[in-house]
Amino acid sequence: MRRTLLRNVGIPLLSMVLLFALWQGIVVFFNVAPYVAPRPLQAIQAVTRDWSSLWPLVLATIRETVYGFACGTLLGLSLGVIMAKVPFLQRMVYPVLVLSQAVPIIALAAPLVLILGFGGTPIVVIVAWIVFFPVTVNVLDGLSHVDQDLVNLARVYGASKWRTFIQIEIPATTTSLFSGLKIGATYAVTGAIIGELVASNGLSLAIYQEHADSNFNTAAVYGTTMLMTAIGISWFLLVVGTEVLVTPWQRRSVARRPLFHRRAAVVPPTSQH
Amino acid sequence: MSADALLQLRDVGKTFGDTVALEPTSLSVDEGSFVAIVGPSGCGKSTLFNVIAGLLTPDSGEVRLSDEPVTGTTGHVGYMLQKDLLVPWRTVEGNITMAARLTRRVTSEDRAEARRVAEQYGLGEFLRHYPSALSGGMRQRVAFMRTLVTHQPLLLLDEPFGALDAQTRLEMQQWLLQVWKDTGRTVLFITHDVDESIFLSDRVLVMSPRPGRIIADLANPLARPRDVDVLIDPQFIEMKSQIMHLLHGGRR
Repeated sequence: MRRTLLRNVGIPLLSMVLLFALWQGIVVFFNVAPYVAPRPLQAIQAVTRDWSSLWPLVLATIRETVYGFACGTLLGLSLGVIMAKVPFLQRMVYPVLVLSQAVPIIALAAPLVLILGFGGTPIVVIVAWIVFFPVTVNVLDGLSHVDQDLVNLARVYGASKWRTFIQIEIPATTTSLFSGLKIGATYAVTGAIIGELVASNGLSLAIYQEHADSNFNTAAVYGTTMLMTAIGISWFLLVVGTEVLVTPWQRRSVARRPLFHRRAAVVPPTSQH
Repeated sequence: MSADALLQLRDVGKTFGDTVALEPTSLSVDEGSFVAIVGPSGCGKSTLFNVIAGLLTPDSGEVRLSDEPVTGTTGHVGYMLQKDLLVPWRTVEGNITMAARLTRRVTSEDRAEARRVAEQYGLGEFLRHYPSALSGGMRQRVAFMRTLVTHQPLLLLDEPFGALDAQTRLEMQQWLLQVWKDTGRTVLFITHDVDESIFLSDRVLVMSPRPGRIIADLANPLARPRDVDVLIDPQFIEMKSQIMHLLHGGRR
């Protein structure tokens, strides 16, 4: 248990530390001017010094990311299911989906602001626009690769289409769904920042960075970038954590006792490795 | 037809395009009997099974179970394939109770029965294991228990031990005979393996391809209970030779 924790958390942390050390090393060794690139600690200090004004902006970016991700997931999941179930719609909708992703997202932002006005709504739409596509593609792929023998077995047992869908097809698609969600999670924050650049009414994390840039506050520019990256990583890790929680069979050989309706302790609780 | 026939087929035929998968076939299977079906690939064994299970609607004829017409409908047989088809996201217990979960709410009685069956047949310690942690033989046993707790009187087993190694297969055959004796179900058992068909059955149906049809219906003279010594019994050898000639031609 200890060893796995060390390997799964320790090694990634070490690589982060090395990355920062490399950054520090390059800046010091080449004597890079502070207005071109600050040292890592200076960038972090620029953020902590102004934390009280940055914090609400971070919260807003997180909110846009979460709302957009939720909408994108819901849309992506529904589209994936509908397309898998109705081949006619699949043929009809697929090219439109590809088209939607071929549109440069920046070029999409301007008309969205014209339609929806400035503010949170167009930003959420942009995030959802980016997130739904990998979800749809992966869900569609997952659903069309469900073992037909398993579906037939359910039929032999007399299962309805609905129960077969809920009990067989959906669980069989979980892994694919999470592949889509993980891709979506990495792009979601990028979408939110692009949205903020174009559609913010008032201050936002992206606009804060623009101001820092025009004031030659390079440390704050870098610091804000680090902050945005941190939001993206956290969101990705949250999705991965959810996957670990809802798909225990992928890494365990024995199921945990369910949290509720525990049976009386027939077997004394044994420690699992 | 016998009065205690559980399953009756009358002139059941199925064609796919130009291929006659199954010529109009009639068949009667007695309650509690063990009937093996042998034949090469493409002889219509699986078509026959899928028609009985209701996955396929035959072009002609009728399927009756306990004298009720069931042609083209599902939900009346236990069914098991060479692939164990265990779902990786459920534990052994969850897989055994799968048929219940697919048709209604799983009750505590369902779970209790799953535990009882698993304990009785040597998988009691593995109830909370996921299938990925089990060996091939254990997985097939779980798949069979899942078939058993459907409480269907007729079990259709399509080469259930086909993917197992010879040693495990022999163990599983003896195990299956034990379970069959304990539960009194009626079994239809498809296999490629002539030895297996004789070792297990009361009766062997030999099938032939193009068009798929039953070419022989042989009563098995071997007494029960049987152990591995049966495999060198003269009656066993005689029956095996008879089936081999039917399958591969040649003079007798």
